[in-house]
Amino acid sequence: MSSSITRRGSILSGIGYYALALMATAFFAFPIVWMTLSSLKSDADISAYPPRWVFAPTLESYRKLFTELNAMDALINSAFIVCLATLFAMIAGTLAAYGLARFDVKNKNFIAFEVLSIRMLPPMVSVIPLFIIAKQLGIFDTPWLLIAVYTLNGLPFVVWVMRVFIQEIPQSIEEAALIDGCSRFECFWRVTLPLLLPGLAATMVIIFMFAWNEFLLASILTSSEARTLPVIAASSIKAKAISWGLGSAAGVLMSLPIVVLVLLMQKYLVRGLTLGAVKG
Amino acid sequence: MGIEVRSVYKRFGAFTAVNGVSVDIKDGEFFVMLGPSGCGKTTTLRMIAGLELPSDGQIKINGRDVTYEEPRHRDIAMAFQDYGLYPHLSVFQNIEFPLKVRKIAEGERRKKVHATAEKLGIAEYLNRKPGQISGGQRQRVSLARALVRNPRVFLMDEPLSNLDAKLRATMRTEIKKLVTSLGITTVYVTHDQIEAMSMADRIAVMRKGDMVQVATPLEIYDRPRTEFVADFIGSPPMNLFPAHFDRKKGIAASVQPFADSLSGEVADKASSFADAQGQFFVGVRPEHLLIVGDGAEGAASASVDFVEPLGQTTNVYVDCGGHKFIVVTDRTEARVGDVVGVLVAPGKSRLVAPN
Repeated sequence: MSSSITRRGSILSGIGYYALALMATAFFAFPIVWMTLSSLKSDADISAYPPRWVFAPTLESYRKLFTELNAMDALINSAFIVCLATLFAMIAGTLAAYGLARFDVKNKNFIAFEVLSIRMLPPMVSVIPLFIIAKQLGIFDTPWLLIAVYTLNGLPFVVWVMRVFIQEIPQSIEEAALIDGCSRFECFWRVTLPLLLPGLAATMVIIFMFAWNEFLLASILTSSEARTLPVIAASSIKAKAISWGLGSAAGVLMSLPIVVLVLLMQKYLVRGLTLGAVKG
Repeated sequence: MGIEVRSVYKRFGAFTAVNGVSVDIKDGEFFVMLGPSGCGKTTTLRMIAGLELPSDGQIKINGRDVTYEEPRHRDIAMAFQDYGLYPHLSVFQNIEFPLKVRKIAEGERRKKVHATAEKLGIAEYLNRKPGQISGGQRQRVSLARALVRNPRVFLMDEPLSNLDAKLRATMRTEIKKLVTSLGITTVYVTHDQIEAMSMADRIAVMRKGDMVQVATPLEIYDRPRTEFVADFIGSPPMNLFPAHFDRKKGIAASVQPFADSLSGEVADKASSFADAQGQFFVGVRPEHLLIVGDGAEGAASASVDFVEPLGQTTNVYVDCGGHKFIVVTDRTEARVGDVVGVLVAPGKSRLVAPN
């Protein structure tokens, strides 16, 4: 008797959890769905009120995006800049984090703080000096300027997060490798790095997203050649009107790589976001 | 050959972890460093391994100066307290790892891994990950990984302290047998006196960065040099009676009959155990005290405080003029409150130096 009551109770609470989860998903998914639908609507359908759920889909907004706004160039720029910046920040940051986590570095905490302080500077403050430096180096409106800026921007995050991931790996595992015949670098490569994969994946996705979505510096430090996707997307907002279809299409285009990246990294992300996964 | 440690120091800032330790560990010897936590035993071991660099001094392995060599060039193997297994590799790959790093051919690697796994009874777990086997099996894997490449020196840092008591006892004998049969020079760190006593060829008792006494287990048990060693080894520990040496008056002890029981030959050495003020201890193991009738010749008169029968033996806590000590006897008639005589078995009282 009592067991059937508790069973019914657990079924009810199960349904409750599903309902809650569905509501939360709907809440977060709605803007994305709406954006995707808008990107496929004609201008007339977009401005219709009440909103139309059934309409004849058209790729007109996408066509305009690629012809009028040169989205292809921007996409290539974005991909090139963000991938390289992410790669540089990950390599330099992880190695720095390893040094800070494992070696007896003098003034270790000061150095770590110094690295973090880059992020404390409001980006706006650095814009004018960056502009002048870029002009003098002749790299204004080239991808290299944004690569440098995004690498530096991502670096503190990588150093601080990877340091914690590295500290989570028991020292004795690395010491065993050193005794088993590895040099420091071999030990890092064969033992530490494989154990860091979840952490690396989680960190990489986050700094990739930072750089991919970055607008402020990209809009000021580029003019035509090195323009990235967020800058293009913003140009759908004109002084007199907002081109909703174009904006939505740009939004979809920008979101796609992130969605793909997260799906690819999902396995690692879950493990990486729950620290302590490496302890055997 | 073996391992030579010459006046090795390790300082961490103002703290001295290892204070000028010198010791020769013979080829093929099972050498145990024993002491409470923070005594410098693990730091000494890590310096032999090359995981820490000494602040001063020299370390030689098989005649070669390795003081500042990287661990991989020392031809050593090590077992860790938390095993130090590679969690992302299978048991097979863990054992294979040192061979792979040394670029040994695959066929030979496989042969050696299987032979070693067989010897340690873990052949059936080769495909599992370290996370999927028990603590005892993990320690076997770490031993297999250490032994698979026939190192000259095997270092063990409290390898049994994460195991339960029963498993510890069986692993103890197994490790000892295995290492002895292979003839590998072994340095073993532990805080467990039973491990030290049962496994060691020689024990070094360490305290605050110093090796207080280095000797065979029985020598350490029978003739502890200092108060610390006497107290640390043996359960219940040795009874220590404060004594004073004076060239003219001879030896005065808190329980005088025990001082008088020192043979003339031993008593002559008292000056070398006494500190500047002439203080030292007369030490007697609880099992070397006999309970006799009160007033027996040469016996100290004491009252019984407490009787603790343990089955095989009985601990009798007695009080002699305010000095409390323990007598271990067979079954006894003594009852709380009785006044008894306590006698030292002939030739069993020792001189013990203060710390």
